[in-house]
Amino acid sequence: MTVLSSERLGSPADLEGKRRQWRERSRSCTKRVRVCIGPGCLAKGSLALYELFNQAVAEAGADVQVEAKGVGCHGLCERGPIVIVEPGEIFYQRVEEPDVAEIFRETVVGGRVIERLLYEDPDTGAKARTAQDIPFYKAQMRIALGHSGLIDPTSIEDYIALEGYAALAKALAAMTPEQVLAQVERSGLRGRGGGGFPTARKWRSCRNAPGQPKYVICNGDEGDPGAFMDRAIMEGNPHAILEGMAIGAYAIGSSQGYIYVRNEYPISVERLKEAIQQAEQLGLLGQDILGTGFSFDIRINRGGGAFVCGESTALMASLEGRPGEPRAKYVHTVESGLRGKPTNLNNVETWANVPAVINRGGEWFASIGTETSKGTKVFSLVGKIENTGLVEVPMGITLRRIIEEIGGGIPGGKAFKAVQTGGPSGGCIPAEHLDTAVDFDELTKLGSMMGSGGMIVMDEDTCMVNVARYFLNFLHAESCGKCTPCREGLAQMLAILDRITHGEGRQGDVERLEELADLLEGTALCALGKTAANPVLSTIRYFRDEYDAHILQQRCPAKECRGLFRYEIDPEACKACGLCLKDCPVDAISGGKKVPHVIDQGKCTRCGTCLDKCPFGAVLKV
Amino acid sequence: MPTVTIDGIRVQVETGATILDAARKAGIWIPTLCYHPAVSPQATCRLCMVELDRGDWKQLVTSCNYPVRRDIEVSVSSARAVAARRGVMQLLLARAPENEQLKALAERMGVEGTPYPTVTTSQRDCILCGLCTAICAEVLGRSAIAFSGRGPERAVTTPFRQPAEDCIGCGACALVCPVGTIQIRMHEEEGEIEISPFKTRTKMLACQECGAPVGSVLVLKEALDRAPMHRESLAELTRLCPRCRRKRTAARLTEGRTLAAQAGYVAGTKKAE
Amino acid sequence: MTAQEKLIETIVSRYDGEVGMLISMMQDLQAESGYLPVDQLRRLAARLDMPVSRLYAVATFYASFRLAPKGQHEVTLCVGTVCYLKGAGRISQRIQEEFQVEAGGTTTDGLFTFQAVNCVGACAVAPVMIVDGKFHNGLTPESAADILRSLPAQQDAALGEDET
Repeated sequence: MTVLSSERLGSPADLEGKRRQWRERSRSCTKRVRVCIGPGCLAKGSLALYELFNQAVAEAGADVQVEAKGVGCHGLCERGPIVIVEPGEIFYQRVEEPDVAEIFRETVVGGRVIERLLYEDPDTGAKARTAQDIPFYKAQMRIALGHSGLIDPTSIEDYIALEGYAALAKALAAMTPEQVLAQVERSGLRGRGGGGFPTARKWRSCRNAPGQPKYVICNGDEGDPGAFMDRAIMEGNPHAILEGMAIGAYAIGSSQGYIYVRNEYPISVERLKEAIQQAEQLGLLGQDILGTGFSFDIRINRGGGAFVCGESTALMASLEGRPGEPRAKYVHTVESGLRGKPTNLNNVETWANVPAVINRGGEWFASIGTETSKGTKVFSLVGKIENTGLVEVPMGITLRRIIEEIGGGIPGGKAFKAVQTGGPSGGCIPAEHLDTAVDFDELTKLGSMMGSGGMIVMDEDTCMVNVARYFLNFLHAESCGKCTPCREGLAQMLAILDRITHGEGRQGDVERLEELADLLEGTALCALGKTAANPVLSTIRYFRDEYDAHILQQRCPAKECRGLFRYEIDPEACKACGLCLKDCPVDAISGGKKVPHVIDQGKCTRCGTCLDKCPFGAVLKV
Repeated sequence: MPTVTIDGIRVQVETGATILDAARKAGIWIPTLCYHPAVSPQATCRLCMVELDRGDWKQLVTSCNYPVRRDIEVSVSSARAVAARRGVMQLLLARAPENEQLKALAERMGVEGTPYPTVTTSQRDCILCGLCTAICAEVLGRSAIAFSGRGPERAVTTPFRQPAEDCIGCGACALVCPVGTIQIRMHEEEGEIEISPFKTRTKMLACQECGAPVGSVLVLKEALDRAPMHRESLAELTRLCPRCRRKRTAARLTEGRTLAAQAGYVAGTKKAE
Repeated sequence: MTAQEKLIETIVSRYDGEVGMLISMMQDLQAESGYLPVDQLRRLAARLDMPVSRLYAVATFYASFRLAPKGQHEVTLCVGTVCYLKGAGRISQRIQEEFQVEAGGTTTDGLFTFQAVNCVGACAVAPVMIVDGKFHNGLTPESAADILRSLPAQQDAALGEDET
């Protein structure tokens, strides 16, 4: 955490002057250790590592010019805690507290690499010295995540030293709002929160809508289970969001912005608050920014704990101090939003892309990606995958490259089954479509959607019917409950899926689910209800055989649904140790010493205790 | 003024009027449950769905709150719109299968029963339309009852499920409830009016003459507060129940008539001189 | 002004009485005692000139708000199929009777919050009860009640972990 001089920057020239100064200062310190304190590494205790490094720096004395920094997410959360040493960008993974002293002594001070802490390629055994040598990073391109991982998110100096706020200065001093809009339009940037709506079009509508004041909102209510992209950006690169919002506000004609952060992200709230304070101190936010006459304030609001508040009108209701109930969007929020005023809402990642678009031009941004989906997208690659973490890739990359090349494939030698994208509003994509280019429209054609970026990988042991049930259960509990189709319809769909996963499915259940899906899509009030059936529909589309097995044969092919598969003891593998026999709660196992055990299927309640107990893997799911 | 072509019939409406307004003007019936002219459109029941022609696609929208701002073409009787309304009603019937008002509406819509089992519970058939909460908030300005909870737990309740301190016992909620969930119960011995099922009671004013219930004390106070000019005569009038009031008025009128007759004036005859 | 009234005043001034910051105000209020006391909510409603039903609506809509204090300890009893077959139903009944608490509720003395869930995946040692994250296995109504009876109250917590 650096101490900020409270010198206000009165002009773009002042900003450039400070930038040079801070860049010089940063360069003058050549030895540096960066400790990742992003969401994944933090959960693995990296804060303690950071503190230990700080201590080591303090104890090293004045003659050793070195600094320790806590930085944001690098993406390879599976291998966290991650520590990077400069010079050389030596990339250490799975660092533990006892390693700190060694790293400091050997690498930071001594310039020597500690082999055992380097990433090792699981196939070739080759050691990677820097991130660039790791396959996970090769295909990635960081725009939204930007300098997260390089900069201390609590230091505005770091951000400014690396180009920070140059875009804002350029927009305010050298461009008209119309020119800013033109650049964003040229870029082809589409909303990154899930809707994929063309950003420039939204800004323009808001700009043209009659009425004052106009509001600009950042949606940080990331609620999709398994998604933490926005959290990483808020905690690793907060200033990019502030800068993006200020540029947007300038283009739209707004002077008040809000960042709505979900209740479950207190660290994000802290980082953003700190960032705003620092920006205000330097005159990069607030009144008369950089002496250009443009004023813009940002306020942070914390959510109360409701997934539905990710929906724009629900979010605005929440900002008005009400329950987060969505309302009709026949009149768009750009015309009548927060407090009935023209409001432009964009997702965290969308805002984080804006400075780059202005700095390098819309043309540059449009050169990345596909025809209809420009730029990059941050995905949280999680589930049954070797390299869980965050990835940012150019649009158009195939699912296969993400899962196999970047993700490292499925662990445990299991077969890939499906990848769920778009969270509870999205769908499951099977193996036969792995060569699909990741792009808004391509994913929608497959019956899924881009969504906010959650990418959950599933393997052969995952029951797709249960996946559908899981998402329905989630949405049913998170629904605001206001409209009939969502509230009652989801309850009906859940009841059907509960029956199916318990072996009580009936002929006609699938058709009934499709009927209800259609009803919800047409009559539900908001996107939560309208897209709620997507997981069900996509699993019916690609995994109908699993539904049929559950319903017609009371069998779960993935052997996940309790009661819908059998346990059998392999007589060849069984060592007759008696462990399963002893622990079976209903005494369904017969046999004795030297007599292979047998499960009496009639008595068996399929609780799975025997499988857990057997040390020889002789109990099989059949 | 924009034109709405609804099922082929053209009507002109004010800008900002709803499709439902246009339908009523055109004499076309669209079923509603959560719509009431006294409050803003709730658009919660989703029963009033119609199909809006958007050129290259057709959008299902709720007619009660879709604002008409330009010429549009709407279909009430298209297969998709009919199916949507049927589906919604079937879901509602599953929630409250024994409710008479709901069944009557379903019959009028041509919906024969529901294929869905009852999987949700409702407090006395409440369909969570929100009319009661809307009228208490918008017209009475009191919000004695409101929605609480979320999703499957959503319900119309008093604050903390305690008797509502803000309730004045006017019974507007009972009046607008489309399924008869809310009932006004008179407890004459205790001199109280109860709004059921909210377990909220207010003091009842009794007729000075015969003791019959006149109304809620708080409602009368509210009425007097809202009409300061007529305070005296209103206050006087509200001391009596409707029957006694009629008797007293009749007495006054006939008294006046007798005097007039005595003086030679009788209404309808030409005896006035 | 009482301490409680003062607290409301402090919180409201912190946000310049802005109605849109209601959720933040309620979060600050909850931070004081770990839950939202009814009388404080009524005071806040009056201070903001809002119907109290609005605060109740907000308090019951968002998952982070609690209207009743959570118990000092969290007790989760598994009532999945196997545990049930081995008597979890009787254990649940015993807990509810002896400690006067319903499933999903908290004891009146605030000692523990009791939840009944479906399958925690420890069927081999059924019936299972998890207390503050620690598993207790092979229970009977008596042994389960024993464990709960010896739960340390807040003052005793400082004495340290004593579970084996």
